[in-house]
Amino acid sequence: MHFLKPIIGVFVAYLLIKIGVPFLGSLSHPGTWPVVPTAVMKMYLFFIIAGAFLASTFSDEGYNGLVGPIVDLYSNPSKATLRLCAISAVSLLGCWVSYQYVKPSFEAPVELRSVHPAPPSSANMWGKTFELQTLKNPLREDKANFAKNVEEGGIVYYKNCFYCHGDKQDGKGHFYQAFNPIPANFVDVGTIAMLTESFVFWRIGTGGPGLPGEGAPWATAMPVWHTMISEEEAWKAVMFIYEQSGNKPRVTATVAEKK
Amino acid sequence: MSLFKNVRKTGLAMATLFAVVTIFAAPEAFAAGDAKKGEAIYQKRCWWCHGKKGAADGPATTFLIPPPRDFTLGMYKYKSSDPKVEIPRDEDLFKVITNGMPGTGMPAWNDILTEQDRWDVVAYVKSLTDMFGKTANPPQIDVSKKIKSSAESIELGKKAFQTAKCFECHGQVGKGDLTKKLKEDSGIRVWPRNLTKPWTFRGGYTAEDIFARVSNGIPNTPMPSFAADTTSSGKLSVEDRWHVVNYVMSLAEPTSKTVDGQTVVKGFQRDVMPKDENDAVWNETASTAYFLAPQIIQPERFFTPANDLIKVKALYNDKEIAFLLEWDDRTKSIPGDPTAELIAWDTISPDQVAIQTPVVIPSGSEKPYFGHGDAAHPVAMMAWNSGTTTAPAAGMTMIYSGSGKRTPGDAAAAGFTSSGTYKDGTWKVMMKRKLVTANKDKDTQFEVGRFIPIAFANWDGSNGEKGSKHTMTSWAWLLLQPPTGKEVYLVPLLVLVLLAGGQLAAAAYLKKNRK
Repeated sequence: MHFLKPIIGVFVAYLLIKIGVPFLGSLSHPGTWPVVPTAVMKMYLFFIIAGAFLASTFSDEGYNGLVGPIVDLYSNPSKATLRLCAISAVSLLGCWVSYQYVKPSFEAPVELRSVHPAPPSSANMWGKTFELQTLKNPLREDKANFAKNVEEGGIVYYKNCFYCHGDKQDGKGHFYQAFNPIPANFVDVGTIAMLTESFVFWRIGTGGPGLPGEGAPWATAMPVWHTMISEEEAWKAVMFIYEQSGNKPRVTATVAEKK
Repeated sequence: MSLFKNVRKTGLAMATLFAVVTIFAAPEAFAAGDAKKGEAIYQKRCWWCHGKKGAADGPATTFLIPPPRDFTLGMYKYKSSDPKVEIPRDEDLFKVITNGMPGTGMPAWNDILTEQDRWDVVAYVKSLTDMFGKTANPPQIDVSKKIKSSAESIELGKKAFQTAKCFECHGQVGKGDLTKKLKEDSGIRVWPRNLTKPWTFRGGYTAEDIFARVSNGIPNTPMPSFAADTTSSGKLSVEDRWHVVNYVMSLAEPTSKTVDGQTVVKGFQRDVMPKDENDAVWNETASTAYFLAPQIIQPERFFTPANDLIKVKALYNDKEIAFLLEWDDRTKSIPGDPTAELIAWDTISPDQVAIQTPVVIPSGSEKPYFGHGDAAHPVAMMAWNSGTTTAPAAGMTMIYSGSGKRTPGDAAAAGFTSSGTYKDGTWKVMMKRKLVTANKDKDTQFEVGRFIPIAFANWDGSNGEKGSKHTMTSWAWLLLQPPTGKEVYLVPLLVLVLLAGGQLAAAAYLKKNRK
């Protein structure tokens, strides 16, 4: 019995971490199953096994109870078959573990997406220079024509952007699969919801090639739109993606002060 | 404890309520959509393609093939109602809104529109035509005689596929390599479905979906109804239609589907390089599938592709590297060729394919611009075209240092060769080159064990594709897999021997000292 107690203890602890923790997580966030990361699991198991070993070998009785059966297995003449099985199992396990370490693995380099590159202070688009720090959407002021401008932005979006960024602004337009990483998802709270309109305007105007060199790699297929659509169309498209995705543009202090 | 008990009770009650609602409120109850509410959703989400009044005249309409449905006509392509009934079932419309139409611009709306929202849109869309009138929702086609798939049934289906002449449009092996010019009643060009890619079936690909399609046909297109109780000329019995369903489902080719996150084409080491694209060695080589998108990022932009996927294989030895590019193409585009001209709509150009790699493999993670690189980061291109009746198929190499900035490469010095075969709706093109060349500023120097950016482009010459009008991928990766080293086998073997030996020694020692 001394022999089984620590093993059962370790096993129960393992189950608690493996299933118990995610279960608790799933209660507070239904529909999720937050597993414990492998590295953390390994660390926990190390301490649990060490602890179980220390605790069960604290007394002589305990020590003998734990080590005795092992010694018996390896020395008892009547347990020859069982011994052979144990020796094979341990050897094969070691063989498998070492193979996992040395086998070649070829994971593709991760395509990092930097959603919010630091914008330059100014950008050349449509044949002129825009000061991005102070730039604001000139059409926002025109409250009377807001709906009209948004709709015209939608028309620009559906003639140019929707093929990649999608009907639902989720970055899954019908051609999205050809791109790695996939096009930006405007519904996601981490994209346009965190940005000012002037930033989005700059990203549309100069596209992938306009991104600053210091933050490379920019694995993006975003075209240089200022050569294909007008300045006004770009502003309207910006208004449309905010409106249709249900996000609000951020307003920077500089822009707010200017009001 | 009482708090927990209450929580549990409430939870149980909620679950029961939910179950009851799900069971009893299933489609029929929701089917009563509110057209007024549906209109609001339509005018926010749908009109961009389908038009403000449903006449398929939105801003995106002309950029989409197949074009969005014109709801004012009330004619629907995908219906599961009985073949004798002209109109679709409400469930057919609901299904399209819910699941979208794979391979078209119509997305699945189930993640942002609730079930009720979708029924509301169905009600509104139905109100845009008088086709439905006061007619009750028609019954579903009888699917009770479904035949389970078996080798026998598939064989019978294959026969029926021939008798009913399905191959005339869908091709002998189902790739949709048509033998005649196909157009919808409205006059626009229409492509037959590639049956080896069921996940692109617009109306779904369960056995029931396909049975409904074979039975009902696709109204207003060349796809006829094969139901024996209609006036269609080529008819199939109910049993034969189910056999055809089983045959069609057996044609699915899983390697013709992209796998999320799979971006690496692996090059495997071989002592002897393949002779050509039909070498048996290629059959044993794993492929990686890439989705092709049309070039829509710079003029002249192209929105209406015909080919959607390219499969790539690679092999290498100490001297050479060989690529096999394989893609389903419904048309073998040889300008001047009578068979090609017969199904042509416009001037035909040769079919083409190209591989792009950076001239200098980037040491960091920064890659050249995927659209032909730039002056500082040129890219090397290996290309092949299917030729014309007067000029044979040919390959070439070139260097791009930015869009439109092209200089010819030295194909002979690079040992570049290429060849292609078209059979049953599939092109296979092999390109071979020296692994390393003397022109370090013109040719990519392929290195074993390194991740090399690679991109592909494809032109379907019978779909008006030439020059900048083509389909393409963005950067993927090529990895020439180094041969597995000896240590991969030696280390585990050593561990095995040591562990077994150690244990045996320990056992011997313990036995000797056993009290």
